[in-house]
Amino acid sequence: MTINDEAMWVEKYRPKTLDDVVDLTHIIENLKAFLKNPHSMPHLLLAGIPGTGKTTVAICIARELYGDKWKSFTLELNASDERGINTVRDRIKDFSRYGRTGFGEAPYSLIILDESDQMTGPAQTALRRIMETSSRTSRFILICNYSNKIIEPIQSRCAIFRFSKLDKCAMVEHLKKIAKQENLRLLDEAAERIVEYSEGDLRHAINALQTTAAYQKDVIDEKTVLQVFGEASPRQVQLMINKALSGNFVEARKMMYNLIGQYGFSGSEIVRQMQRELMKIAYIPDNEKAELTNIIGEYDYRLTQGANSDIQLSALLAQFSKFGK
Amino acid sequence: MVVLNKKSFTLPRVEREHFVRLMRLGVEYDRDKGTFSIASFDNIEAILDSISNILNDEILFLQNCLICDNDFPCSECNYPEFCETKNLPFQCVCPQCLKNRKIPQQKLF
Amino acid sequence: MIKDLLWVEKYRPKKISDVVGNELAKTKFIDWLKKKNRRKKAVLLYGPAGVGKTALVNAASNQFNFTIIEMNASDTRTEKTINKVGKPATSFIALDRFSSESKGNILFLDEVDGVFGQQDRGGIKAIINIVKQSLIPVVMAANDTDQKKLRPLKKVCQLIRFHQVRIPLIITTLQKICSAENIEAEFEALERIAQNSQGDMRSAINDLQSTSEGKEILTLQDTMLLRTRNKDIGMYETLRGVFSAESVGEAAIMLSRSNVNYDDFLLSISDNLPFRYPESADLATAYDMVSKADVFRGRVGTENWHLLRYFFNLLAKATTVSPKSFKPFDFISPPIRVMSLFWTKNKRMKLENICAKIALKCHVSRNTAKTDIVPFVKIMLEKQKSSKIVSWLKLEPDDLDYLIKMNKL
Repeated sequence: MTINDEAMWVEKYRPKTLDDVVDLTHIIENLKAFLKNPHSMPHLLLAGIPGTGKTTVAICIARELYGDKWKSFTLELNASDERGINTVRDRIKDFSRYGRTGFGEAPYSLIILDESDQMTGPAQTALRRIMETSSRTSRFILICNYSNKIIEPIQSRCAIFRFSKLDKCAMVEHLKKIAKQENLRLLDEAAERIVEYSEGDLRHAINALQTTAAYQKDVIDEKTVLQVFGEASPRQVQLMINKALSGNFVEARKMMYNLIGQYGFSGSEIVRQMQRELMKIAYIPDNEKAELTNIIGEYDYRLTQGANSDIQLSALLAQFSKFGK
Repeated sequence: MVVLNKKSFTLPRVEREHFVRLMRLGVEYDRDKGTFSIASFDNIEAILDSISNILNDEILFLQNCLICDNDFPCSECNYPEFCETKNLPFQCVCPQCLKNRKIPQQKLF
Repeated sequence: MIKDLLWVEKYRPKKISDVVGNELAKTKFIDWLKKKNRRKKAVLLYGPAGVGKTALVNAASNQFNFTIIEMNASDTRTEKTINKVGKPATSFIALDRFSSESKGNILFLDEVDGVFGQQDRGGIKAIINIVKQSLIPVVMAANDTDQKKLRPLKKVCQLIRFHQVRIPLIITTLQKICSAENIEAEFEALERIAQNSQGDMRSAINDLQSTSEGKEILTLQDTMLLRTRNKDIGMYETLRGVFSAESVGEAAIMLSRSNVNYDDFLLSISDNLPFRYPESADLATAYDMVSKADVFRGRVGTENWHLLRYFFNLLAKATTVSPKSFKPFDFISPPIRVMSLFWTKNKRMKLENICAKIALKCHVSRNTAKTDIVPFVKIMLEKQKSSKIVSWLKLEPDDLDYLIKMNKL
């Protein structure tokens, strides 16, 4: 496992080669095939649940293609941070103009566009044109949570790789490796608890592990883990959803107020988190998840109409509690 | 019935005890002019009572019209039975301005 | 037909000079605000309904740029309210330290005489406690003019008396509104409305609107149907009325007769829904209505008043989902809004900056940094202030301070 000096473990232990990536063997195999002939590599679309390795894989590809100086040949963009497609286009144009266009076997530069499903339809159409006009000099790696939110024309131009929830054992193993490197004694049940609460999101799990380490105990036990999760918000959102689905509206609403009050999340931010956490919840079948997603979408829309966050979120939770019954 | 102007009115010779009381209640005395005026409305009702006692008569204050700035007595008003603050020198509108449907010049809202 | 009772909103006083009448009370209140002659840190505005107590507080806050934190005076309700948002009472007071943007915060307890009605004197004690504990000035309002009942509060607050607004002043105000609304009103009509209002400016304006709806000329005849309004229909009465109504129509009429502020009322309904509807299906239906009402309220904004009838309609539907299942319950009022006060623009920007730093280092979006990473980093830094993360993220000392404090709220 490669080690460096980064302070946050999610970065410190981020795999640098595809072989080191956790639990994605089938994806890796396919990617390696592409990487054997870099000039024939298509645009890529990496889709799936948060924290399952998409960004890591994209960066590993960059390293494979360009070696240690990969940053000079790669443009990392995040669709939700940029203020619209024009900014994206400008940044890509600047990059192609001033960045180096290719290296060795790969006569192109790499553009990693994260959270591309946050882009509107028209923005994505414009993106497709950009992809086309720069295809000689650039390859795109698009990353998203919901591939069905990516328009058809883009999907058809990409090789799609689906990332699913990571296997629990693999995650536990990985946590243990990190703990060992950090000279921590991580008890089995603690590791399992972290993995359980992370619902397949390895980034989440590693952050949680690092947080437990901050409690400065010699041994990381389940109790410490529970303390950590008691205080961190992704878990709060999960609990909120669970409470709502089990019909306990008042408790769910209390948690929602906490999220607004403690973390300053806006209505839209909480809704986004709900979308993400919902994806991870195991006991809900896919067709129900789809329905719930639609309900969330409806209230998300109402929020954009300039309505009160707490009313819309309360109403959303109420729909969930009816759904659950 | 005595009608007084809150900005300036006179009283016959006042005993020291009453005088001190008036000062405490918020009345001011101008030695040069020999007139009283009401400085603070905090205890307006007590002031009224006090002066009433001194003069041994009912006291009325003039009202000030917020539209034309004239002073006028409550007796000219058409709505005495509806008023809780009769004869107290508070903001009002005089019957003329009211009849003429005048509204205050400054942007009220 | 549901009326658009909007003029009380449209012509709501925005500055102190807009508040008509009670100039003595206004002067005393302003002096107290400016700390001239301030003997007590609490003040009680008492007097009949609709004469400008709340209007004055709001206008003053607008003019002097301070924030009003409104809470319900009743002891048990306050506690429940505070607990419902999961914070102990004392941390609430800490809010004051964080709002440096406005000139200060004021705690506002409306309808404190709701508490006087209790047999036991626990209510008064509770209020006195709140005043004593509060680090920020406290303004209270009461409709009761019974001096005897108010006396116990004299220990902790200055009493400021409000009187009925004088008829000529009411007439003049109505006249002004008529001019603005292009309505030609007979003098006798305005006179009658003013007299009928018993010194209550708010209901006078409401009556003006309801009698002149859709008309260009208002005659005395039009006002003959005015019955003396029940001026004291405040939040509690309205909530009780709409929730216990047996039909949408009944609820709608209740709403149109009430003097409540619509935005507060909307929030209050939202707060109280789960207590009215223990059944999830009913709750979901009712909330959907309230949610739509909320959207409509947004669309009305400051111009599209004609849309407000939909707002009322939806609210009335929300409160009468299953009339037969009504059982009396304790209302939460005023609405729970306390907790978002911390998040002023400055604070949000600070958080955004921190998220940007994290986003850069961890290859995530700022949003993801905020939702997925900040919560953990907060705890890490709280437990270990000297963590390497501080320098890795290039956090300034006040960034660190802020992140840690954020957790404690």
